[in-house]
Amino acid sequence: MSNELRITLPARLSELRDLAGMVEDFGDANKLPAPKVFAINLELDELITNTVTYGTFEPGTDPRIDIHLKVECDILTLTMEDNGSPFDPTVDTNPNTSGPLESRSVGGLGLHLVKNFASRISYEFVGGKNRLTLEHDLKPA
Amino acid sequence: MNIEVVEERDNDVLVLLPVDRLDSTNARAFESIVMDHISKGEQRMIVDFSRLNFISSSGLRVLLIAAKKLSATQGKLVLCDMQEHIHEVFMISGFDQLIPIHESRKASMNVF
Repeated sequence: MSNELRITLPARLSELRDLAGMVEDFGDANKLPAPKVFAINLELDELITNTVTYGTFEPGTDPRIDIHLKVECDILTLTMEDNGSPFDPTVDTNPNTSGPLESRSVGGLGLHLVKNFASRISYEFVGGKNRLTLEHDLKPA
Repeated sequence: MNIEVVEERDNDVLVLLPVDRLDSTNARAFESIVMDHISKGEQRMIVDFSRLNFISSSGLRVLLIAAKKLSATQGKLVLCDMQEHIHEVFMISGFDQLIPIHESRKASMNVF
């Protein structure tokens, strides 16, 4: 297997399990540390769930998600694109991560996890698609 | 999607062991199992993570709902035996301050 993986899938939660298996195979083939493989699968779960649950798509559009994984120069990069309406997940969502049990909710928590597991994150709307790029340093800085 | 959950009982403490993955595809199934037990009167519950390899915020949501529900009736939810990467998810989300996490099943039994 090469140092790149490209997958296009329909925007459906049911795709997640097969995708997780492919990411694990990619991790094995590229000798990636297990915590990084976990981080990628966590990010994919959170981001695809957001797109499927909250994403809006123009009438007549076939909702699709493009996944690209690449290992290069000790950086593991996950790029995810979807053909939904523009949505920038890097805008601060400020979930409540302290305070008593009664005041907590999980709103915004998924994106909070994504931002913490990635070393760098960037968003652009290009060619009619949302593109989110998540870089992960494979060596400590 | 279904989830395999092993159920064990230690006196009046119910121990649930979700198997493999607790993600956005099966969190609803896990929620219905947990809430079913609570609605039948379970008050003391341990979720043992020793057979779980993956959790996302969908799974955290179910644990939050269960903890709130049990707390409202003076019941208790305790978690134990987490792998390091799963513990990290709890720390980043601040859930480690919310729901008690113990290293072992034995240690978590002591809180009841």
